Amino acid sequence: MKRKLLVALVLGIMVVPFLMDTATAKTLKLGSMGPLTGPYAADGNDIKNGVLCAIDVINDQGGVPGYDKIELFPQDTACDPKQAVASANKLINLEVVGVIGAYCSSSTIPASETLAEEDIIMITPASTNEKVTDRGLPYMFRMCGRDDDQAPAAVKFMKEALGAKTIFILDDKTTYSQGLADGVEKACKEMGLTVLGRDHVNQGDKDFSAILTMARDKNADVFYMSLQNHASGSLMAIQAKRMGLKSKIISQDAMFHPNFISVAKDAAEGVYVTYGYTDKTTDAYKAYEKRFSAKYGQIGAYGTYAYDAAIALMTAIKNAGSTDPAKIKAEMMKLDYDGASKHVKFRPNGDSGSSYVAFKIDGGDYKLYWTPEKGILK
Amino acid sequence: MEYFIQQLINGLTLGGLYALIALGYTMVYGVIQLINFAHGEFFAAGGYVGVIVLNYFAGRGLMDSNPWLCLAASLALTMAYCAFLAMAVEKVAYKPLRHQSRLAVLLSALGMSIFLQNALMLTQGVFDKPYPGEKFSGGLVFGDIRISVLQMMIVGLTILLLVGLNLLVFKTRIGMAMRATAQDKIMTSLVAISSNRIISLTFAIGSGLAAAAGIMVGLYYGSVRYDMGFVPGIKAFAAAVLGGIGNITGAMLGGLIIGMVEIFGAGYISGQYKDVFAFIILIAVLYFKPTGIMGENVDDTRV
Repeated sequence: MKRKLLVALVLGIMVVPFLMDTATAKTLKLGSMGPLTGPYAADGNDIKNGVLCAIDVINDQGGVPGYDKIELFPQDTACDPKQAVASANKLINLEVVGVIGAYCSSSTIPASETLAEEDIIMITPASTNEKVTDRGLPYMFRMCGRDDDQAPAAVKFMKEALGAKTIFILDDKTTYSQGLADGVEKACKEMGLTVLGRDHVNQGDKDFSAILTMARDKNADVFYMSLQNHASGSLMAIQAKRMGLKSKIISQDAMFHPNFISVAKDAAEGVYVTYGYTDKTTDAYKAYEKRFSAKYGQIGAYGTYAYDAAIALMTAIKNAGSTDPAKIKAEMMKLDYDGASKHVKFRPNGDSGSSYVAFKIDGGDYKLYWTPEKGILK
Repeated sequence: MEYFIQQLINGLTLGGLYALIALGYTMVYGVIQLINFAHGEFFAAGGYVGVIVLNYFAGRGLMDSNPWLCLAASLALTMAYCAFLAMAVEKVAYKPLRHQSRLAVLLSALGMSIFLQNALMLTQGVFDKPYPGEKFSGGLVFGDIRISVLQMMIVGLTILLLVGLNLLVFKTRIGMAMRATAQDKIMTSLVAISSNRIISLTFAIGSGLAAAAGIMVGLYYGSVRYDMGFVPGIKAFAAAVLGGIGNITGAMLGGLIIGMVEIFGAGYISGQYKDVFAFIILIAVLYFKPTGIMGENVDDTRV
């Protein structure tokens, strides 16, 4: 009997630290959403790492007052709308204060509707489709640019900088790529470019020889390559080069990833990419770059936006001194500072503005080539 | 006309690749009536081993001096590696279930496919791995028609391996043993032919061909990826069924038809229905000739 009591006592003492932990430690819970597996895993991991990087920075500055630690719950959406909604529900159950994500517009939109029911703040670092913020959800924010800004910027670039008159447009039927391709087609008609051809491929295709032969046959000045991810983009660039496609290749923000160049190598040279302008000479960017590269290696396209989104969210929580969504939102709207990717200042609809410029891949790197204001940069 | 010829060349290349993968499906089915769903993963593994070996050669500067020799050596090494991999998979996942229902083996094959794909993802990462394909650039140009060195190489290698396989199956004692095992395993073992060994060998050969296709795909498209085996695996399976599963010439024909249909469908109608065209043909053929093009209306036990 005595022995049993002793065992019970020892076990009881062993449990104490855990009880104390739950009693005293207060955790600020954040969520992130993105494809951590599947074809877009590279971008999803960039988003997660960007947020983790932001949490490190905030921790270095003393964390968020009132909380002992900040914990991130990364969710894998696999770029699938159903899984995105499931991830959103999981984050609701975990009682997160805010969510950074998701990646594909097609999963951000349904997930945001689920999160909106619980008034949870969502900031997307990567979904550029107009509908993301145009639906008027009160707690939806966006750190990256918008398709209806990117498409006209791309066409303006083709017309003014490259002197293009004809175009061949290709997309892979995702909400993002097709929306952007539609936007480009519309802008071409407005600005007087002739669309010689418009076709689609399937996501995950590897063989583009048929479609590239068709594009070569049309011989347009510009081949607009609108694809969801850079992996298929680099395959297409390689095959286009081998096929002898003479048109200039222009693509969008999804191709702004170091892996695009490291896989396509020579074939990537001379490809133009429209992407939001990030001034890499600012202190904010340099500080971010140093921290991100040390821990996670090369900076991917959406890591920077995810970092800024997370910093904005945590700063707003700090300033609000509360996790009440309305108060956080009010603080988000007041933010006005230079982030790593751009100047952070939200508009009433949740957008933070677009700053699309054109990059040219030259010598294995993205070189800033053209801006709408200054034209071709020398 | 030039457009047509260019698409024909594209179709032949893609069809050749499908045919190489389809052969493994058809051979294994012919011998033990198993649809080896892990076959696509042997193809992916081949792609990865190929690039690792090629990069090893490139790191020692051998790729610059004699790229063709390096390619031949990496082909041989990769095919051997994948042959052993397939034999090991067969021992672990299929042999213990040989006397169970066919469904059990089929499930085991599906499980193996998922296992191998995840093993590739965990060891090789989720990113695309670039292939040193630029060493084999260039090709023939006739006006608007371009035949790249890689396209010639793929078609050439496909023909070479097919001829070799046909010789093996129909002209050697091993081939005879394989055909005998396909017809009747018990009777064959009674005349002192180890059916286990023959089955192992069938897996090894099929997987070796898939591995060759893996290297070709890596070079032709420029990179490999851990999940590259799935879609071509399904297409090659369709090709094997289209040609009459269990029939070697049928698998080759099926691969070519699917490749051609895809390319011409994409080139003349639209790229978005590429996969649809391939499967419509499959359904149409199976509707009118359920055994496949070269399949015969006998019991499904033939190589």
